[in-house]
Amino acid sequence: MTDKDLICVAAIAGSYGVRGEARLKSFCAIPEDVANYGALTSEDGAKSYTLTITRKVKNGFSARLSGVNTKEEADALKGLRLYADRSVLPDLPDDEFYHTDLIGLEVLDTGGISLGKIRAVHDHGAGDLLEVFGPGLKSTVLLPFTREIVPTVDLTTGRVIADPPEGLFPDD
Amino acid sequence: MSRSVWKGPFVDAYVLKKAEKARESSRNEVIKIWSRRSTILPQFVGLTFGVYNGQKHIPVNVSEDMIGQKFGEYSPTRTYYGHAADKKAKRK
Repeated sequence: MTDKDLICVAAIAGSYGVRGEARLKSFCAIPEDVANYGALTSEDGAKSYTLTITRKVKNGFSARLSGVNTKEEADALKGLRLYADRSVLPDLPDDEFYHTDLIGLEVLDTGGISLGKIRAVHDHGAGDLLEVFGPGLKSTVLLPFTREIVPTVDLTTGRVIADPPEGLFPDD
Repeated sequence: MSRSVWKGPFVDAYVLKKAEKARESSRNEVIKIWSRRSTILPQFVGLTFGVYNGQKHIPVNVSEDMIGQKFGEYSPTRTYYGHAADKKAKRK
């Protein structure tokens, strides 16, 4: 199983109350969705937990985890990151991509020269931006994620073809 | 207190000049600006500005719903990466 197969969707921040509930911090776009991805595993996949969200608390949720019945057991899980399998995420329409699929893809220009790899995806309110870092760059470059600038996204080969506007990359 | 209407929206003059030049040349380029305080005007729609955030120029594709806001609103000065989890990106 590669690191792309498992996606970190939540972390346990400690216990909640004295009845074995855990305080859960969700990393999902819609925080409640963390309970929709079935059994969540630890990073090495050795342990699996089924979540039931009991209530909303400050900075997250309180949740009951399968196999965790006491406050001490919940406290022992503090800091544990919970992972969902990539395959449980619903399919997306054309031109929509999960950040986790885009991160790590190689960015090539229209001439086939490598510009770098996608390090992160941001949205500051004016559309999504791909943060690209590669050899020859002192700092990361933000590439607007539009059809004009990124005409091809090939997830199977792990490549993105980009036609960056002038002035975006330092060599321009 | 909000800005008086009779003054009109504030835009640094050099931003207007650069935008006009870019529109005339109709080349696909990022217009680098440092003026975060300038208001986004209707004539900027369709252009891409590189708005300085103190460290680098963040590309901002201006669309109609951004008119009236300031450039600085789209170029955050602090970075937070967070987790990718199930977050989605849409290609426009």
